[in-house]
Amino acid sequence: MKRLLSSITDGKGFDILLVAFPLGYLFLMSGLPLLYNVLMSFQEVDMFSRGSFWRPFVGLKNYRDLFAMPETLPILYNTGIFVVASIAGQFLLGFGLALFFWTNFPGATWLRGLFLVSWVMPGLVVGAIWNWILSGDFGVLNFLLRETGIIDGNIFWRSDPDFSLWAVIIANIWLGMAFNMILLSVGLSAIPKDLYEAAELDGANAFQRFWTITLPMMRSTIGAIISLGLIFTLQQFDLFAAITSGGPNNSSNVTQYWAWDLSFRQYDFAKGATISVIMIIFVMFASVVYVRSTRHEVRG
Amino acid sequence: MGIRNLVIMGAFALASVSVFAVSAKAEDVTINVWSLDRDIQPAPTLVADFNKLNTGIKVEYRQIQFDDVVSEAMRAYSTGQAPDIIAIDNPEHALFSSRGAFLDLTDMIAKSTEIKTANYFPGPLASTMWDGKNYGVPKATNTIALYYNKDMFKAKGLDPSKPPQTWDELLDAARKLTDPAANVYGLAFSAKASEEGTFQFLPWAQMAGGGYEAINSEGSIKALDVWKTIIEEKLASQDSLTRGQWDSTGTFNSGNAAMAISGPWELDRMLTEAKFEWGVTLLPVPEAGAERSSAMGDFNWAIFSNTQHPAEAFKVLEYFASQDTRMFSDFGQLPARSDIAIPATGKPLKDEALKVFIEQLKYAKPRGPHPEWPKISKAIQDAIQAALTGQMSSKDALDQAAEKIKAVLG
Repeated sequence: MKRLLSSITDGKGFDILLVAFPLGYLFLMSGLPLLYNVLMSFQEVDMFSRGSFWRPFVGLKNYRDLFAMPETLPILYNTGIFVVASIAGQFLLGFGLALFFWTNFPGATWLRGLFLVSWVMPGLVVGAIWNWILSGDFGVLNFLLRETGIIDGNIFWRSDPDFSLWAVIIANIWLGMAFNMILLSVGLSAIPKDLYEAAELDGANAFQRFWTITLPMMRSTIGAIISLGLIFTLQQFDLFAAITSGGPNNSSNVTQYWAWDLSFRQYDFAKGATISVIMIIFVMFASVVYVRSTRHEVRG
Repeated sequence: MGIRNLVIMGAFALASVSVFAVSAKAEDVTINVWSLDRDIQPAPTLVADFNKLNTGIKVEYRQIQFDDVVSEAMRAYSTGQAPDIIAIDNPEHALFSSRGAFLDLTDMIAKSTEIKTANYFPGPLASTMWDGKNYGVPKATNTIALYYNKDMFKAKGLDPSKPPQTWDELLDAARKLTDPAANVYGLAFSAKASEEGTFQFLPWAQMAGGGYEAINSEGSIKALDVWKTIIEEKLASQDSLTRGQWDSTGTFNSGNAAMAISGPWELDRMLTEAKFEWGVTLLPVPEAGAERSSAMGDFNWAIFSNTQHPAEAFKVLEYFASQDTRMFSDFGQLPARSDIAIPATGKPLKDEALKVFIEQLKYAKPRGPHPEWPKISKAIQDAIQAALTGQMSSKDALDQAAEKIKAVLG
């Protein structure tokens, strides 16, 4: 008894206790809902059987039905474009800004702080504002493009199936850019200055310094930010709700919005869960990349 | 103090609690009411007034958010925690009544002196019915009609006392009123990928002899072709595809659209915002003399089938119905009753408009009723948008919708 007690206050027991709490919390708050979601995707879920746990199993029927729907492949394709374009845009612009502020001109820190405003704003507010900016008849974006002579007629960003997905991507890039910039700025400032001084003495030009010092030193930060970006874009929902509602004719619909629409608009919880399971696979992939790229930070 | 004293005290405490519980039961029956109404809206006000009457029934009110009504109600019902009475959006009524979640009120209504089915407009009443039985009572109602800007009619040489009555006249007027140079569209409406799109389109299909069961009938295709013409000739903004009715009518109020299709919920805002003479007319029909139709919105009252006090719950509904006369004067909502006259508001524009809406309500038809309405509605929304974006012809889009709806109807 005494040994057990002392082990709990100081020893292996204490370590186990420390780990058990977060693990238990994670299992309760994330693990169980996740497993429940997977379970639901193999069941026939009816709105009135939602309260019960054991419902009739239907095997892969939900998956087969889902892929038999004409809108499934276009929506998966849209999701792919949305994720790749959003991450590319957020990362490149964020990196550009981070490098720009890294030069440390007067007021740089101040300005960098201002950029965070976009990150602080709730998605629905950002969505409403972009909704106005992208409006076909009176939108600011159309006005700017028209006045500068880039376009002749108005582009209906939200309502033209060729542009609707890009309308949301533009808003999402704006929303996520600041977060990328801050994380990359942190990564940049962690690179020791003497490396650059040494390289400069050896005669490396700016491009070479960037390519052989900055990028390799930033590898883990970049890996982390891209996998976080994947997770953030896959959970981006508010912008779709506020700007296009997934329309017109699903041209801007993505899996996360569709899962919500199926579950809570059409009350088809099984199909909503099925899509979520497909998304979980992608997010798990991102998580593995994230964990691997941040491993060094933990050890160092 | 020994353990025995504690036990005795505990037993005494338990006994007194149960005595109180019993006496409370003998005095008052508690009825729980859920609705989305805020404190200045009908439900909480009527609940408070009812409780003042001391009828031996105590009503407890809970407000739920619009987006949560169905999921909250389903969760509560499936776990046995449902309220006695709920206000439910009319296209979702059948979802519950078809599954026996709502109480069959047919016999109680037949005996009731307060609730008489003959007093209600046919559309709202039909939305509470399933399989020929009454599963609820309409709470309030609304519909859509055509708003038009009389000043613009005059400016373009149209007669403001003769607004368009048929689809051809509507197209004709919209073409004359559209003025891209002045940023004016002929018409504003909503074809959004949500229930609003279905709400606006279905009456058009119904007027031409179609409907959700016959969504690819000749009439429905003609209706969608008219919509397609409106968008393709830029008689309405292409953003009608992503804009709800409230925002679309906003462009009418600001003078950027000469006509708008929307409901009576616009009246108060229009009175303050619209700086021009406007009027309302019935929704145009395919050709003179054709059957009329319109959309039907708003909520119904229903009693959950697992209530402990069906008779008392019905008494509460009877009280709500007896107060329908206050629906417009106190809360600005239209009662779903044809026997109640809407009192004059003293604002001529509004009174004129209300007359048209009351007339239009006679033709309003429910969406469904069908337990899987949201899926049917989604098929219709997708078809409208596929056609209006030019991705499909009206016929192909509606054929595809009919296919999906057939799968739902089984």
